Amino acid sequence: MKKTLLICLHFLLVPLVYSDGDSSSRKMLEELALGRVDSVDDHLNDLVETGDPFIKVFVDAWRVGEIYEYELENAAKVILHRVSEQFELLTSGEALDVPEGREKYLKKSRASRSLRKDLSRITDTIDLASPDLDTRINAALKLGQGQNKDYLPSLRARFERETNEKAKRAFEEAIMISLLKNAEKPEERLGAVVRLGELASLKGRDLVIKIRNKNEIDGDPKLFAAARNSVLKIQKRQSIVENVGSFFRGLSTGSVLLIVAFGLAITFGLMGIINMAHGEFIAIGGYTCYVVQNVFESTFGIQSSVFQWFFWVSLPISFLVAAVIGLVFEKGFIRFLYRRPLESLLATWGLSMVMRQTFRLVFGAANVSVETPSVLNGTSTFGLVSMSDTRLFIVVFAGFVILITWLLLSKTNLGLYIRAVMQNRNMASSLGIPVARVNSLTFAFGCGLASLAGATLSLVSNVGPSMGQTYIVDSFMVVVAGGLGNLIGAGISALGIGVTDQFLQPLLGPVMGKIVVLFAIILFLQWKPGGLFPTKSRSLDD
Amino acid sequence: MVLSLIHKSTPLILSVDGVSKSFDGFKAINDLSFYLEEGELRTVIGPNGAGKSTFMDLITARTRPDEGQITLHLEEGHDVDLRRVREHQVSQLGIGRKFQNPTVYASHSVYDNLLLSLNNNRGIWASLRFKEQKRDREKIFEVMKAIRLQDVKGTLAGALSHGQKQWLEIGMLLAQDPKIMLVDEPAAGMSDEETDRTGELLLGLAGKHSLIVIEHDMEFVRQIASRVTVLHQGSVLKEGDFDTVRSDEKVVEVYLGRQARKH
Amino acid sequence: MNIFDTKKELSGFVLAGFILMGLLPLSNTIVPEDSIFHVAGYQLSLWGKYITYAVLAMSLNLLWGYTGLLCLCQSLFFALGGYAFGMYLMLQVGVDPVYNTALPDFMDFLGYSELPGYWKPFKNPVFTMLAVMAVPGLVAFVFGFLAFQSRIKGVYFSILTQALTYAVCLLFFQNKFTLLWVDFTFGGNNGFTDFKKILGANINDASTTRWLFIGSTAFMLIVYALISIMLKTKFGKVQQAIRDSENRVRFSGYSTTTYKLFIFVLSGVIAGIAGAFYVPQVGIINPGEMTAAKSLDVVVWVALGGRGTKFGPILGAIVVSMLKSYATRAFPDSWLIILGAIFILVVLFMPNGLVGLPKQLAPWINRIRGKERRANTRKTVTAP
Repeated sequence: MKKTLLICLHFLLVPLVYSDGDSSSRKMLEELALGRVDSVDDHLNDLVETGDPFIKVFVDAWRVGEIYEYELENAAKVILHRVSEQFELLTSGEALDVPEGREKYLKKSRASRSLRKDLSRITDTIDLASPDLDTRINAALKLGQGQNKDYLPSLRARFERETNEKAKRAFEEAIMISLLKNAEKPEERLGAVVRLGELASLKGRDLVIKIRNKNEIDGDPKLFAAARNSVLKIQKRQSIVENVGSFFRGLSTGSVLLIVAFGLAITFGLMGIINMAHGEFIAIGGYTCYVVQNVFESTFGIQSSVFQWFFWVSLPISFLVAAVIGLVFEKGFIRFLYRRPLESLLATWGLSMVMRQTFRLVFGAANVSVETPSVLNGTSTFGLVSMSDTRLFIVVFAGFVILITWLLLSKTNLGLYIRAVMQNRNMASSLGIPVARVNSLTFAFGCGLASLAGATLSLVSNVGPSMGQTYIVDSFMVVVAGGLGNLIGAGISALGIGVTDQFLQPLLGPVMGKIVVLFAIILFLQWKPGGLFPTKSRSLDD
Repeated sequence: MVLSLIHKSTPLILSVDGVSKSFDGFKAINDLSFYLEEGELRTVIGPNGAGKSTFMDLITARTRPDEGQITLHLEEGHDVDLRRVREHQVSQLGIGRKFQNPTVYASHSVYDNLLLSLNNNRGIWASLRFKEQKRDREKIFEVMKAIRLQDVKGTLAGALSHGQKQWLEIGMLLAQDPKIMLVDEPAAGMSDEETDRTGELLLGLAGKHSLIVIEHDMEFVRQIASRVTVLHQGSVLKEGDFDTVRSDEKVVEVYLGRQARKH
Repeated sequence: MNIFDTKKELSGFVLAGFILMGLLPLSNTIVPEDSIFHVAGYQLSLWGKYITYAVLAMSLNLLWGYTGLLCLCQSLFFALGGYAFGMYLMLQVGVDPVYNTALPDFMDFLGYSELPGYWKPFKNPVFTMLAVMAVPGLVAFVFGFLAFQSRIKGVYFSILTQALTYAVCLLFFQNKFTLLWVDFTFGGNNGFTDFKKILGANINDASTTRWLFIGSTAFMLIVYALISIMLKTKFGKVQQAIRDSENRVRFSGYSTTTYKLFIFVLSGVIAGIAGAFYVPQVGIINPGEMTAAKSLDVVVWVALGGRGTKFGPILGAIVVSMLKSYATRAFPDSWLIILGAIFILVVLFMPNGLVGLPKQLAPWINRIRGKERRANTRKTVTAP
């Protein structure tokens, strides 16, 4: 699906480039194809300088025989580009019909062998001049890792002229990697090894290690020492990068847990309800996104820019849908179960079964998927670590949820009531606080939070009838480890568990990592049986 | 920590020396010293948050002190360090505790409640093989008489009135044959008549057992108290007989005064 | 000492033993197949399965009903017992026709060339029977020790036992896993199946089916009697006292930790043995049997039948299982909804379960009867 989108995008963009200011590169290509060039080398260099991605398209087309030479009625020669059975003028991209009878003036253009070779070099280095920074960097590193001697001059030339610090670094890295193989003098290679260490080049790691191992026994001792040194430097950097990466991933996993656990903690703290159906409210969030997406798709079409808005629209809707459903259940039977945690656990388990089966009947047993809005499709880089924008969004969104919850609890009347009821139910009731209403609204709020978590989860995983079950055990552990009913505790333990989980996963694998976390929590409760922030109670049998 | 042993004619059964205990930086008990004589009936009073419950918890090993010593003096100069025993061993050593809210086994009869409290072997195998002896029955009947529940011996404890539950819990302590009884607010939620009877019961027990009674109701304190200890901010503010304490300016200020203002 | 509370209970017990261990297996052998009194082999297996479920429910009741510990890892104990016995059964299969080795076929599939060391003792049926008790017992002991030592109780206990089940279930879903430097393999997703022989007999023989049924029933009756005896002792009273007020029990000088641990381990062992009876009768054991959801199913049985009663768990397990096998065929789509709704209703309106229903309805029925008497009708009302 995404691939088709990209291809569509490509076709949309190509004519754009075509008609824009890059006509000079097209002109140059035409001159090249018509053989009106004095010095092919200079001409090619000039072409590379433009960094125009169309050059690649042209070279490919030339190779497969889609480029034609054509003599117009006024005897002027032009170059045509055949795109899906249709001729276009190379210089302008305008369609051109070859009238009947004039076919003999049309002939396939062929490049000489040496030109073909030069051209393929161009297309490989063309991205080095791309105006887009990331394309430039990636192209440089790719060429460097190829360790092809032919590209060294281009890389060097680009390195000299590059102004952007990041790109300059990438060019240098690429040159050094290439030099590991292509150095003419041993000193040059030694220098490259040392420099790669200084640059802490992750891309060059394996090659430097190779050099180290090769020279360990009876190679060049100087080179071995330098390589060993550089490997250590690179590995140090690598572990930092990995740790920071794990930390960020853990933060985003923890953020989802946090949103889920907040709802659980509030409903437990306020009403003594252990909501086993909380996971199904996560699924409600996911399915709401799915439904909204489908509505947008059928109303506006998948390619319209409005469609990209569906996710942002479905966030508040999913909150409301779950809140209303939660309210109905609360009024229906949950209110009879206040302060009876075990009974509430059982009844809500029944509810969970009912809800899961209902999802299956309505949406089918198979998982459905929700598109990621294009805004969140990219990655953002912070220093060394890049993080996908969806994960970043989840972290930011969790912060937003914390803020909203905090505002609700500390700045609104409802929040004041909630805190009062949490502390002393009977007293609150006798002070005229509408306890029943506070309960209903809080339960609805908790369900809404779960649903928001589900909506954000739809960005990173599939939506299915049992999606809540995957998270519910984890989020219960979060709530228990944080101290039942304590929001700060839930927050800290959610992030802590998320981060620990992500740190353990590379070491132990996903399943063992999870199991270790579960046992760690059990052991943690040995030390602090009430969780991080235990509820203090004066009554004995609580 | 000052170790100030006061010599008395009767031997001590419990000494608490310079004990402190903090929770998350809050000093619940601050350098508290307290001595209980054998057979004494002592009342502990103090405003909310004075540390009364923590004090009880420390004696019954529910919490451990940060510093100071808690020692139980048994016969023949045999001392037990109460900081090092486990909760269930406290009762085996002869310290019984009655909680603020009456805690009884709701689905057992009054008789079984007392049976379970008897001072027999409490191990698993002993319980599985336990056979009721004649002396067990006699002991239970004796206790039931003392707490005036002999007419409801078959009733489930959960069906008793609030006052009856309080008595049953005291009876459960008695069945343990404790040396020290810690009684937390025995008169809470009782009618005047029940309160009077509870007072009589406790006074009757003094002498045979040593008692520490925590109480809020000043009338009740006057009725039972021989000696009163006033706790304030985790340490002893004043100790003496009821009238001395009652007329002490500091006590009036921190406790009675504040209560008077509240009402 | 009388084991049973009433004469009625005693006669019920004897009658149940007579019917289940005598009449049903007999009618399976002697009565001709076309007679309506004939009990088919598959029915015997089915009821054998129900009975192991009933024992599983009884083991939970021991914890939840009498001691107040809502344990959500009962299915784990059950499955562990089942897996232990399944290991024995897998080793009885003999030479695999496809791979031509004596290894269980999933090991061939995973590329094992010889039997891992910890599998070897399971060739011995006596060792297996000990393992059936020891494995769940040990898990219960270690987890219970940690949990009770640190005073984890109530909802905390439930959630932690659920997490334990979840964790072990994840392990068993893997083809191989390493725990304490040992590589374990228990067939991953598919678990164990295709059993051939048990104690030398063909597992599909009619007589094997009968004996397995008789064994399960005998075990259920033994557990029932055991629980009855226990409830009569002071131990049983302490147990229920812990449910009512654990702190009071501790301050009466009982080490509640030890008591709870004992009951927890006992319950785990009983569930494990039930699992061992379950596996040969059903013919398969896989990690799906130890999910947290299965544990909650057991809670449903106990709650529906009557928590804290001797007969309730048996009734609940059998009623729900029968309902399930009927409803999954009659309403395959809405069966879970029906079960969920029943569960909610039971929690809300039937705190004493089916067993407590007549008593709960008694005032109501009496009122109807009274009214009818006043109206001078002759209709008789039958109690539901």
